[in-house]
Amino acid sequence: MSDAGKPRSGALPGLLSVLAMLALWTVASQLTDRPQTLPAPWHVAERIGHLAATGELWFNAGMTLWRVAASFVLAMAIGLALGLAMGRSRGFDDWLNPGIIILLNIPALVLIVLSYIWIGLNETAAILAVALNKIPVVTVMIREGARALRPDLDEMAHAFAMPPATRLRHVVLPQLAPQIAASARAGISLIWKIVLVVEFLGRSNGVGFKIHLLFSSFDVEGVLAWALTFVLVMLTIDLFILRPWERHANRWRQDAA
Amino acid sequence: MRLELQAKSFGPRQVLGSLELSVSRGERVAILGPSGIGKSTLLRIFAGLDRAYQGRREGGERLAMVFQEPVLLPWRNAVANITIPTGCDIATAREWMARAGLAGHEAKFPRQMSLGQQRRLALARAFAAAPDILLADEPYASLDAETAARMIALTDELLGRSGAGLVLVTHDPAEGTALGARALHLSGNPARLQNS
Repeated sequence: MSDAGKPRSGALPGLLSVLAMLALWTVASQLTDRPQTLPAPWHVAERIGHLAATGELWFNAGMTLWRVAASFVLAMAIGLALGLAMGRSRGFDDWLNPGIIILLNIPALVLIVLSYIWIGLNETAAILAVALNKIPVVTVMIREGARALRPDLDEMAHAFAMPPATRLRHVVLPQLAPQIAASARAGISLIWKIVLVVEFLGRSNGVGFKIHLLFSSFDVEGVLAWALTFVLVMLTIDLFILRPWERHANRWRQDAA
Repeated sequence: MRLELQAKSFGPRQVLGSLELSVSRGERVAILGPSGIGKSTLLRIFAGLDRAYQGRREGGERLAMVFQEPVLLPWRNAVANITIPTGCDIATAREWMARAGLAGHEAKFPRQMSLGQQRRLALARAFAAAPDILLADEPYASLDAETAARMIALTDELLGRSGAGLVLVTHDPAEGTALGARALHLSGNPARLQNS
């Protein structure tokens, strides 16, 4: 997190480490007598190519990505509001804290099953179930940041009678940027894992649904193909959206050249 | 702007006693006294930042505050540090920055500026709010003598130009004299204001 703003030259070791994992996978796949248990990397790559060519990949990965995005936005917005309120007001914190702790400790699976039973096997239940898993995590992180807001800036905002929206945008949110960035990056990976479970249990499209089908035929090659594709998608989002945004938000920390 | 204070306490300890402070546009007042006597507390009450006191505060004048520290938004550049809190437009902000001798520093972030520049930016911000009365809490403390003298001259010039009044809190009587301010002493326990 703290070194996210500086360019790093860790690309080479990172690349070598990925290559080493690939080599290990290749050797292991050649040692197993049943190729179904652990298919070779090129077979999986072939499968990904095939899925991409038929268009199946784009549709299902797209469905999963939209669920990830919807529950991410929902969880961040509600978590931010709750965390801010709890960090700034003792009363809010006393009232809401037990609920947050309970929510934090309910297993993801229970929230998903209950959402499906109570709301129905639909998109609303799926997205809500994922968001409910993530909201308490965001809330707790933002609350810590909100407790440490600078009183002098608060007073300055008050002295100049800044309107609430301006104050939130220019005084409060920039102070919470480290917590927002940390919970966003920790959150996006947690969310996509839960989205897959939600799809596995009660949706008829998406990566999780495809893995459900492949599981019933014990198709390891297919499972790996879908999983790796989506890992690539999430890495791309982290590398090209979240990190640049974080760098941009941290510009002011740099000293004069 | 007028404050009739009966008492101000922190817990069981009464800091300020019964006193009256009234300032109008164009009038300059310096509140003097040793540190810890309650000067800043009095200014904060006068500014409306501290409402837990017994007494009455009236007047609809526009106030702007210069704090002991510059208190800038570190994540916004110099111009935005004027436009965002005061709501003035960019041209006005640039104008006040130029008057404060900060032309050419518009795009810098606060931590890329020296303390003296940050304080001048805080002063420019206060004037950009077009106040009727400028409130300043030890704005020249922790500056070297030369920078402080230049800041005082600058404050004097900007006050003259805008016609604003001034309430200056300081431990140094020379600062008040240099600004041509009427000196009021805060002393006693609980502290009261006395003309000198």
